Order: sequence, then structure tokens, then C-alpha cells
Amino acid sequence: MTTTLAGGRAARRQTMRRIRPRRSPAVPLLLAVWAGAVAVLWLWWHNTPSIADDNGKILNAGRITGLLAGYLMALVVLQMARVPALERRVGSDRVARWHAMSGRYTLCLILAHVFLTMWGYALQAGKSLGDIVQQTIDSINQLPDMGKAAIGMALFVLIGLTSVGPVRRRLPYDTWYHVHLLTYAAVFLTFWHQITTGNDFAVEPTAKTFWYVLYGSVTALVLWYRILTPIRLNLRHRMRVEAVIEETPGIVSVLIGGRRLHRMGAEAGQFFRWRFLAPGMRFSSHPYSLSAAPRPDMLRITVKAIGDHSARLRELTPGTRVWAEGPYGALTAQRRSKGKVLLVAGGVGITPMRALFETLPGASGDITLLYRANTTQDLALWDELAAIAKERGARLMYAVNSPEGERPDISAENLQRKIPDIDHHDVFMCGPPGFAQSVYEALRGAGVPARRIHHESFEM
Amino acid sequence: MRKSHPMRRVVLATAATVSGVVLLLSLKPASDPAAASAAGAAPQQTAAGQESPQGGQQSGAQSAGAAAGTVTGDATQTQYGTVQVRLTVANGKVTKAEAVQAPKGGLSDQKTALAVPRLNQEAVAAQSAQIDAVSGATYTSTGYKKSLQSALDKVKASSGSSSGSSSGSSGSAQAQARTVTGKAVQTQYGTVQVRITVGNGKISKAEAVQAPKGGLSDQKTALAVPRLNQEAVAAGTANIDAVSGATYTSTGYKQSLQSALDQAGG
Repeated sequence: MTTTLAGGRAARRQTMRRIRPRRSPAVPLLLAVWAGAVAVLWLWWHNTPSIADDNGKILNAGRITGLLAGYLMALVVLQMARVPALERRVGSDRVARWHAMSGRYTLCLILAHVFLTMWGYALQAGKSLGDIVQQTIDSINQLPDMGKAAIGMALFVLIGLTSVGPVRRRLPYDTWYHVHLLTYAAVFLTFWHQITTGNDFAVEPTAKTFWYVLYGSVTALVLWYRILTPIRLNLRHRMRVEAVIEETPGIVSVLIGGRRLHRMGAEAGQFFRWRFLAPGMRFSSHPYSLSAAPRPDMLRITVKAIGDHSARLRELTPGTRVWAEGPYGALTAQRRSKGKVLLVAGGVGITPMRALFETLPGASGDITLLYRANTTQDLALWDELAAIAKERGARLMYAVNSPEGERPDISAENLQRKIPDIDHHDVFMCGPPGFAQSVYEALRGAGVPARRIHHESFEM
Repeated sequence: MRKSHPMRRVVLATAATVSGVVLLLSLKPASDPAAASAAGAAPQQTAAGQESPQGGQQSGAQSAGAAAGTVTGDATQTQYGTVQVRLTVANGKVTKAEAVQAPKGGLSDQKTALAVPRLNQEAVAAQSAQIDAVSGATYTSTGYKKSLQSALDKVKASSGSSSGSSSGSSGSAQAQARTVTGKAVQTQYGTVQVRITVGNGKISKAEAVQAPKGGLSDQKTALAVPRLNQEAVAAGTANIDAVSGATYTSTGYKQSLQSALDQAGG
């Protein structure tokens, strides 16, 4: 069965759009984050006239690390609030990497803060570093909100441990994810001791207000974008599985129907986090890209059966309710500048490329798709791609292993030979990490500037 | 897609953070020089209100020994409010200086928190009114020095004959308001002693002359005492709520407050 899902008129209209490149707001956002960090340090500076001795130094180092950790913690949560500006403009992959990086850093700051503060208190009470455990127990018993903070801290350590590379690889995704959700509890529990025992907040009512505003707005954004927005989206569009189609051995497409789906604002190249309300799949959601331009009555995802979840997609029955969150992702037409475009797909990475191939604005001859797979049999969606190529006058190339199993050579020279003006192209790329890395190097070698290579990677 | 170097990133982040913190700490002066740029209150300074560190034997009015007494200087008006200094004198030496009154409200709170503890220390160290003004709090400093001078004059005049009788307000402020110091109450963590300023039968100000110090106690004192002071002024009685997490301090505070109220009433 062929599954040509052409976008029809809507998609054709998209190809005629004007090209409007948009800059990613990453740089201004990062500047704002740094400015906030400087403000937090200034708060400490402003409230500390002098430091008398080594003990004071230790306590103040504890204060600085604590203030920074409190500030970053709010941002770490914010990064996962699914704020559209972050998900669609900066890019979900990049934000996820920021989240992982700043999360680790914040955890280190928290540990340093606890150690330094307890050490400082022990010295202040005339005890030594060896009494730090007893000091910690005393503090938990005696200072306000410290019991809560201690529980929160233990949760942070647990979350950190489950996120360490080797541990995470061994844990099922769902376990890791649900442990990670405890972050909200941990942040809540540790918030109060910052206000009640933090010197800077006791002395400066303005600082206290600022802290409440920071945490309050992050909470509001999380509630709005992680809870209310998806509920509204799914009540409005009521999506269900229409059909499941085997494209090639191991690759299935799921057609999803619903009401007025074009109103979701999804663009080619974006993805949703899908949750299929079928037995055994209810409790986990997974990101899959749209493999066709969204139609008012139909969305399509195409998935390779590699994990537990994706293998089960094959058994979905039509009519199954679908809970989707999105659209997310910044690998869309807004990334490109005015010029030609090369799309590079590796294996099932064809999905967002297929949607972009159909809808990217451009005249005849402007768009080229290079599709890498193991064998010609594995070239999923090939018939559709050929039809689109013919209709819009785009180039379609594939690279497969030779019959002897030899891998095709995607090198700078080969790319230049096939596409002589490759250095005037924007390149969109999607594929497994190793493939993406080697293509990236070949492209750079062929003279494509780094800022014109657009790639989404969920490798941490 | 640029090659990431996780180890390099870890090393860089650690080095940058550690050196940043060390740099910040080393930029702070060791002891409050007058030129300290920051106008803020160090935690311990707000902790015990406007209190100098306990210099030697602190003798409250009730438990006063033969050789120790308190003398209150004249109330000096400054542009921002009244400054009045009280000295504790033992064997002809000033063992403690404190501001009974100091400018309050708005920025003045900040300045007072900054300047008064420093002036108190200087006064004890110098044993005279020849002390440096705190930059950024010139008016308060000048008023403090005047009041300090008048208190020192009184010490000289009575030269040791002050027998440390009851409350300390021997100054000119007696007509409108007087201060009463409650008895020193021992708690598990240290002594608590409350002083109230009473005017027209009402408590206009409450402060802790002594409060637990050192280690965790500093934090607790910082947390509890300002709140208890406020409650005492608001309630006008010793029936105030204990601050959770600082029960011993609160209990001691209430006992001392009660004794001060008893004296004020009687």
C-alpha cells in the first residue's frame, strides 16, 4: 500500500511564501541570564560590608553559592516550562542541553552551599570541620524550614544520581522521567529556607520581593505551558489514531485525525510529544516529528521501531485517543536565509526533512534532498518524495550502501562535485549522531558556514 | 554540532566559579574601614539590634555590681533624627557604648545599621569622643559624638560614684521618655535581656541588650529578636508570640520584658 499523503493546496501555498529569516533569541536570553547572576552577586556585595576572618570567608562563600544556586534553580525549571519562545525559537534540543548543563552546575552549587555553610557554622560554634555532620543535624532541628530544605536536598541528589550517564542509560526512560518530576517538589521544599534564613532576604525587602517574583513567574509559566496549554489543545482538537501504516520493514507511519488541526500552528520540521491512550502506553509521552505538512484534518508521524514505545506503535488500533503536546522545535523554515537549501536525512531522520521538502519556500531547483539509508529498501516515503520532487522541480538524491555493504562516501569533495554551489546553501540536517557529525564535518570542509548548518540533536 | 568537550567544560566551569568566589571574598575588607563601599548591614549587626559586641562583663541595671554603672548622654538632634548614647562604665573605663536612640525609617535604618555598631566599637576602643565618623552617615556620626561627649562628661563629673542604680536614663530625655532594662534571663543558649523605652505609659521601643551569640545562635537571634521587638511594641505587654525555631530565646525575652514592664509600672 502506498501512503502518499500530499499536503495539497495548503502545502503548495506554503512553498510560495516569502522567505523571512528570524534570528534565534538565544543571545539576548543568555545576556539576560548573566545580568541576573550579576544582580544576585551584587545583592551579596551590597549586604556584606566586611568579612572578618577565615570563618567569615567560608560562610560568605556559602552565601554566594546559595544565592547563585537559588537563582539558577528557578532558571533550570524555567527551561523545562515548554515556553514557546524557548521551544520554537531557540529550539527544544538546545534548551534541553542548557537544562542538562545548568542542572548539573546548580546541583554542584547546592552541594557546595550546604558544605560551606555547615562548615562555617561549625567553626563559628567553636567546633571543627569534623563536627559538620552534627552541625547539620542541629541546623535541621533548630533553624526554620531547614527540615524541608534537607528533604529537598536529598531529592536533588537522587535526581542528580539518576541523571548521571551510565545510571541513566540503564534506567527505563519512564523511571528516569518520573524521578525527574520530583524536581518540582525539591524546588518547593528548598525555597522556604532561602526566604527565612537567607540574610540577604531578611535585610532587603526588595530582594525578597524579587525572589518571590522570580519563583512566582516561573511557577505561573510552568502551570500555563505544561498543564493548561496542553489541556486546552487536546480538548480543542480531540485527536485519534486514524491508521497505522508500515512504510518499510521497521518503519511505521501513524495517521492522526482531529478537528481543525491547522489551527495548532504546527510547521513542517516541528514535533509533538505524543501520548497514546492505549494499554501500556498511557504513562509515557515521546517526541516524534511530523513527517508531512500538517493538514486541517490529518497529521502524520513516521517512526522507526527502535525502543519499547516505538515498537508498540505498530499495534495501535484506529480510534485510540491521542494526547499531544506541542508543537515544539525550531528546525523550521524560519531558520534559513535567502538562498538555496540542502536537506540531509539519515535513516528515519527523513521525517522532518520530508515535511520541509514539501513546504520550504523556494523556486524550482532551489531545494535538494540527500537521503542516506542502508539499502534502497530502507528508503521510507520514497514514492512521496519522488512525487514532491517532480511537482516542485526539486532535486532528490539518495546514498545507500553498495551491495557488498560498503558505506557511501559522503565527503567534502563528493558533496562539492554533486552540488557545485554547496557553499551558497543553507543545510538542514536530521539523522543519528554519528552520521550528523560526519556530514557536519564534510559540509564545513565544502565551505558551508557553521551558522548555515541547522541541526537538531537530542544527544546531551 | 561543533565538537563538545565535556571535560573541558567541567574544568572551566569549576575554575571560573571557584576563582570568582575567591576573588569576591578577597575584595571585601577584613574589618570595616570607614571607606567600606557598601552601605548595608552585616547579618550579625542587625542581629542584636544596635548593639556592640559584649565587651567584658555586661552588667544590666538590676544585677549591677558595685563598680559598674550606666550613663546616658544628652539626646542630640540631627537632621535625620535623634541620637542618644549610653555608656556602661566599670572602674572608670567605658566597657560598652550603645545608641539608645538613632535615626529610623527609610534609608536611615540602613545608615543606622551601618554606622551605630561601628561607632559603638570605636567609642569603646578610644575611650573618648575622638572617633572617626562613618562615611555615608556623617550626621548620625556627628550626633553620636556629641551625645558621647556629654555622657563622658557626666562620667567624669560623678567619677565612679555612680552606683548603678536602677534604669539608666539620667540624661535630659527623662521628661518625655525613659528606658527600663529588664532582668537578665539565662536560657540554654545564652543570656537574654530586654530594654524598653517607655513614654506616656506606652512602650515606644523594645530592644535586646543581650541575646544568645555564636554559631547557630547568631542566626536565631537575627531571626527572632527584631520580630520580638516589634511584637513587644505592638502588644504593650509581655503576652507576645514566641518565634518558632527560637523558643528558648523567645521565652527568655518574654521573662525579661515582663520584669522591665514591672519596673516601669512600679
